[in-house]
Amino acid sequence: MGERLIPGIQQAVMNAFQYTLFYLIFSLPLTLSYRTTKVINFAHANFITYGAYVAIFLHGVLGLNNMSLAVVIAFLVTGAIAVINNVFVFTPLQKRGSSPAIIMISSMGLWIAYKYLLYMITDVAHYYTTKNFVSYGRITYSDVPRGSIGGIEFSQALVASLVAALLIVALLYLLLEKTKIGRAMRAVADNPLLAEISGIPRSLIVNLTWLVCGGIVGIGGVIWTSFSGAITPEVGDSMILQVFTVGFIGGLISLLRTGIGAALIATIENVGIAILNTYFGTPVSFRPFLTFATLITTLIAFPPLGAGGGLPYRFLRRGSKK
Amino acid sequence: MAFDTKTIALIVIALIIGLAIGYGVAAVMGGGAATTVTVTPEKKVYTIGFTLPLSGELSSIGKIWEKVVKLAIEDLNKEVQAYGFNVEFRSVILDDGTTEEKALQNVQSFAQQGIKVIIGPAASAQVKAVKSYVDSNKIVLISPSSTAPTLAIPNDYVFRTVGSDAGQAKVLATLAYQEGARKVVIFFRNDEYGNAFADFLKNYFEGMGGTAVKLPYQTGLSDYASEVATLASKVQSEGADAVVLIAFDTDGANILSHAAESDTLSSVRWFVSEGPHGAEELLSSTVGRFASRVRLFGTRPLFIANPLYEDFKSKMVQKFGVEPGVFSENLYDAVKLAGWAILRAGTYDGEAIRTALIEVAKTYYGPSGWTIFDNAGDKAQQDYGVWAIIPGGPKGYQFKDVGLYERGTIIFLEQAYS
Repeated sequence: MGERLIPGIQQAVMNAFQYTLFYLIFSLPLTLSYRTTKVINFAHANFITYGAYVAIFLHGVLGLNNMSLAVVIAFLVTGAIAVINNVFVFTPLQKRGSSPAIIMISSMGLWIAYKYLLYMITDVAHYYTTKNFVSYGRITYSDVPRGSIGGIEFSQALVASLVAALLIVALLYLLLEKTKIGRAMRAVADNPLLAEISGIPRSLIVNLTWLVCGGIVGIGGVIWTSFSGAITPEVGDSMILQVFTVGFIGGLISLLRTGIGAALIATIENVGIAILNTYFGTPVSFRPFLTFATLITTLIAFPPLGAGGGLPYRFLRRGSKK
Repeated sequence: MAFDTKTIALIVIALIIGLAIGYGVAAVMGGGAATTVTVTPEKKVYTIGFTLPLSGELSSIGKIWEKVVKLAIEDLNKEVQAYGFNVEFRSVILDDGTTEEKALQNVQSFAQQGIKVIIGPAASAQVKAVKSYVDSNKIVLISPSSTAPTLAIPNDYVFRTVGSDAGQAKVLATLAYQEGARKVVIFFRNDEYGNAFADFLKNYFEGMGGTAVKLPYQTGLSDYASEVATLASKVQSEGADAVVLIAFDTDGANILSHAAESDTLSSVRWFVSEGPHGAEELLSSTVGRFASRVRLFGTRPLFIANPLYEDFKSKMVQKFGVEPGVFSENLYDAVKLAGWAILRAGTYDGEAIRTALIEVAKTYYGPSGWTIFDNAGDKAQQDYGVWAIIPGGPKGYQFKDVGLYERGTIIFLEQAYS
């Protein structure tokens, strides 16, 4: 019946659902990593891109189209990058008493450096294979089922992202709520000083958080290659706006609200634009504008910064106490 | 005091002797060098600047063009040396990321190096961005692929070795109409190229008796799933029987991949502009299967059955293992024209090269056909071919030229889809 009011709404709804899953996989680790480490990490974009490119190089250079293999390798690669960033850049800066703003700027430097490193790698790969890695077509995987159930088309990307999102949410819940490590993570998040005094190895916990967060985003990147029609080394960059918006809706604190933010942004971007286009003839090119408008509305409606309880005050209080 | 004067005198004498010896040595050495110069006169080196889309939305074809430049410079050097010119042409290739800003930066850095002939950039929006700079600095710019009719401007320094889209729009409209489409949705890049193409296409298609609805999309996005959903709803609500896609590589492949997932969009015909031709992303199994299902056809500037083109194609395959994609032959001819125009001008000066270029193009015939320019500096004689994506080749699917445009109709040379 919705079909008659808004033709083609079904695909828009499916897209919204698909994007919710992606935003969830990309944004949960952003919130989690900020909570524990207090770093606003722009190199988050690299985790998406490098995850996707692990799958692309496996497919394009080695001829493998096995998603489970790509997921494992991507988790290790992007997790390792996150830990390296922390050990060699964030921690030394923190030890020298740099302000959170300086650390955020250093993460922007890392973001740009990793991006052009990837361009260099794609050039080398192009030299040996004559394939174009700067814009790579969708990968069809051999180990992911697809088909339709009850008239709903389940693409490989939908199946993979559904399984991945459910597993990630379940495992994160178990990790944070039921294990000693998870409790330590939460303790570091709530009060790093107190946690350290009570004998929690803070740097180990922080590194572990980075590994998990970087790795999860990398998995999302792999799944993206089965969804998008053409992947470029800029893929993470162009998604960072949405990912941060989702994160801000959660105030970079609440995992539950981050999930709600993912659904909200995905719906606005897909169903919202379809409705606006049908009834008001709004051009499709308005889509990025809607995301920005949502970001600004969130920040104004829930000051200071974000619906989950205010990032900068927590941030400043912690920073100035040191 | 007397001792001091003596010492000074000695020093002065020693200095004079030293200077004399120095001059003598220099004269002998210099003389030696001068004699070697007269034996083998120095080769004159001319540099041609290239701003190519090695990344960004035209990267797939850009990577192929990089190889075309290599081949063309090699061939050009062999040719001029065979004619007895003691010159060498060199290329400097810069990546412009398919963006306007970087294209302008590249052109400016070429200008600082004193380069007077630049080939590229690829996209019309980029050419528009650098036009006023090259005009005011008297730098000859030859784009092998900019086709926007809005850039057909006489008496400037911008040349295009390809015909403007006013011609191609007519061919694409004819193709769609002849294949039975009566109501089409034109889904196009919201930029210089897409807007102008869509306007011309709509005019021609409605002139034939059809109806066309325009739907622009924002360029440079990471993904087009939501845009494709809107396209599907447009096709459904308008009751269209075909989609005409005016796109580049990355966006084109992305849109076709998502369209393959939609039942609505898989049940109408698809016609595509020259932009995505030659892009590897279109040969994925998703797009390949979709192309067969919707009997996808595209148009592109091509002088089909030209022996020089066949020769060029086999050279590319033999040397680099890649088939030349869209505009490769136009780029090859642009390099040759630039080289001969520099020699004909006799001086490395933008104004003289510009005049010489127009003359050289009148009598040059290459893989892209006869290169004579019209009064706006665009290729005057442009033929068009029809391409399809069919199974076969090392990647599973391949591009194939299956037809041509002749006197108002499309003639198919072979059946593309069973």
